[in-house]
Amino acid sequence: MNGIYALYADAISAEHAVEALHTAGVVDRDIVVMSSEPIDVATLRRERSTGLFWIAAAGGGVGGLVGLWLTTATARAWPLVTGGMPIVAWWPTLIVVFELTMLGGMLATATALIVTAKLLRRGSALNSPEIADARILVGVENPPDDMVGAMERALGAGCRRVIS
Amino acid sequence: MSRARIVNDLLRPLRDTTWRFYALVAVLAGIVALGAGTWVYQMSQGLGLAGIRWPVFWAFYVTNFVFWIGISHAGTLISAILRLVNAQWRRPVTRCAEVITVFALMIGALFPLIHLGRPWLFFYLIPYPSERGIWPNFRSPLVWDFFAIMTYLIGSTLFLFLPTIPDFALVRDTSTGWRRRLYGGLAIGWRGTPQQWHCLESAMQIMAIAIVPVAVSVHTIVSFDFSMTPVPMWHSTIFGPYFVTGAIFSGIAALIVAMAMLRRLLRLEEYLHRVHFENLGKLLLLMSLLWTYFIFAERLTVWYGNESSEMVVLRSTQHGEFAPLYWTMIGCNFIVPFTILSIRRLRTISGCVVASVAVLAGMWIERFLIIVPSLAHKYLPYSWGVYRPRPVEILITISTFAGMGLLYALFSKFVPIISIWELKAGESHAGAQG
Amino acid sequence: MSAQHRWGMAVDLDRCTGCGACVTACHAENNIPTVGADQAARGRAMHWIRVERYWEGEFPDVRLKFRPVMCQQCDAAPCEPVCPTYASHHTSEGLNAQVYNRCIGTRYCANACPYNVRFFEFFNAVWEKPLHLQLNPDVSVREVGVMEKCTFCVQRISAAETQARAEQRPTRDGQITPACAQSCPARALVFGDLNDPESEVSRLSRVARGEKLLDELGTRPKVTYLARQSDV
Repeated sequence: MNGIYALYADAISAEHAVEALHTAGVVDRDIVVMSSEPIDVATLRRERSTGLFWIAAAGGGVGGLVGLWLTTATARAWPLVTGGMPIVAWWPTLIVVFELTMLGGMLATATALIVTAKLLRRGSALNSPEIADARILVGVENPPDDMVGAMERALGAGCRRVIS
Repeated sequence: MSRARIVNDLLRPLRDTTWRFYALVAVLAGIVALGAGTWVYQMSQGLGLAGIRWPVFWAFYVTNFVFWIGISHAGTLISAILRLVNAQWRRPVTRCAEVITVFALMIGALFPLIHLGRPWLFFYLIPYPSERGIWPNFRSPLVWDFFAIMTYLIGSTLFLFLPTIPDFALVRDTSTGWRRRLYGGLAIGWRGTPQQWHCLESAMQIMAIAIVPVAVSVHTIVSFDFSMTPVPMWHSTIFGPYFVTGAIFSGIAALIVAMAMLRRLLRLEEYLHRVHFENLGKLLLLMSLLWTYFIFAERLTVWYGNESSEMVVLRSTQHGEFAPLYWTMIGCNFIVPFTILSIRRLRTISGCVVASVAVLAGMWIERFLIIVPSLAHKYLPYSWGVYRPRPVEILITISTFAGMGLLYALFSKFVPIISIWELKAGESHAGAQG
Repeated sequence: MSAQHRWGMAVDLDRCTGCGACVTACHAENNIPTVGADQAARGRAMHWIRVERYWEGEFPDVRLKFRPVMCQQCDAAPCEPVCPTYASHHTSEGLNAQVYNRCIGTRYCANACPYNVRFFEFFNAVWEKPLHLQLNPDVSVREVGVMEKCTFCVQRISAAETQARAEQRPTRDGQITPACAQSCPARALVFGDLNDPESEVSRLSRVARGEKLLDELGTRPKVTYLARQSDV
């Protein structure tokens, strides 16, 4: 893959670089921004609700239903009397339902994170060890040849090409 | 403090290993191996090797189970609640705490296996379809334990792992060879794009909200192991909140001790300041007062009620054969921490550590005193009995403490024990405000 | 066929002399190991029925009271809901069943039992030859790590019911006797069907001096203790 990128010392200059790339005609989807800590600038964050809460709630719902089935249906299938209690005892049922609801929610959250954050993807990507040094990387992967010049101008003096 | 300095300091334990580390691991591993061997011996001979007897059928092992599950409440309180209220001082503390939770849960979950009469059949508790007509009884608090601890263990492992991903990526990007491959795998393709950061922070917010009720429920359900039986001084409605309080209490003490050891052994004096210990010390003081309140409320109610079977148990702890342990517990859990932690001059790092060690000892004794005196004096006096621990129980107990130390030492060797990205983000936050 | 049985017992404390024949007979009938003096001193003895002995008063006005205590087969047994594997559950004939194969030895049931009538196999039992010849083939030998307790000699109950079913008649009162009742020289222990109003155990359970042990706990035990006339 080949790419072009530059490193910036703070969020403000990174934001300027992104705006410059926009002016040069690069769409948001092609711009790669990487940092070693969450950066707090509006344009760079590209805020979009992740809907994670609803996914977690749905996972919780599934977990709760599994818990309900487990305690009620299976208990009725093998009815054994203990301690004079009913075959389906609601208090214990609520406990197991609660635990499996929370488990479902947490597993759904973790899975959704991996999917929406596009983790577990293979393939080499733009990277630089200076990101660890609190630099912010702004770049474009696989830039079409005719736009390389415009991008170099947008990214400014410190820009680098990567060809591999 | 410069970012480079932070990264170097906190990655140093991963890069440099001295002979002292190997020696520590060897000693701890030796003790753990001894404990494991003892357990295998016990499995081969039978639980008769332990001190349990008619009618005291639960003693050291269940004490340890409750104790370790209690310790595991450290991580949640600190990490989740402090994240939710956005307390900035939590940053160097969160991962230490979350690690305690995961390992304490794993060790605690071992004890239901160790104390089983037929541990090789533990899988009877797992609801899987079989031809043998074996199915768990959902009315049993032990089955609730299974679900609660499983949920909490999976939840806290995720809670620990997810915010560690950026740090794994950091190690991947600053190393070569096998380290790069290993941490690259653990970082599961993390790049640090704003989208990923946003997803991670949303996920952590949800996990923090979810894990707090789970933690409260776990120790409540452990307390139900006792309160659901008609045993004198067990069948009390106070057990749920009482146990959760005790858990958070012992958890904070464990966290203070762990942090103090890390600070000394990994030379993290620049990152773990007196203020962190002081803040945790204030929380410990609060929990000590809360715990004392619960003890007072429970015992006053029993004493006032004057029910004969309960009074026997109450007297045996306060005046009888358990009195030395009982008053030691009061000293360790109330007098020592209250004195040290309420006087500012004494509330130094060493002071907090002394108070915490006392609390840990006191809380272990408290679990023991909940279980054994009640079982030793049930309703029919002819069936009362005296429990004495035997070597296998003591050995296995000691080896679990060594096991905790071993797991912690190994973890801090392979994973930065302070969350680097959160610390750096905190510096930016402070820089932006200042 | 026959109406549903509800097995119960009555213990006449006026007749009990504390001889302990019931304890011995129970050991013999149910393959209960004797643990030896050392283990007994450490509280490992397994007497499914035990004779509790209480002293009252000061010398020379001392009175001795004996009370045989076995599993009360409670209708609201606290040992049943706590067992995680259903090893302890209630049968349709009112017995608290202990299923050895399901037991994984958590010992929760023993803690929950207020009468302390549940026992644990701390070691694998050993019967030195030729004592192994004395084992009852109708009763299993329990493995280490398993809970056990009085079953009202369920093997005798089952055998009698099977016989009765084969002969197409109901079981008769007095036809089934557990080992303890069989061996008691004073006939202090009576066993029978509480659902049969004519049976001796039903009659005894309605006697004025009859009471249940630890009744206030709400366990609904099925053993009626007839208090000594001098205590009433």
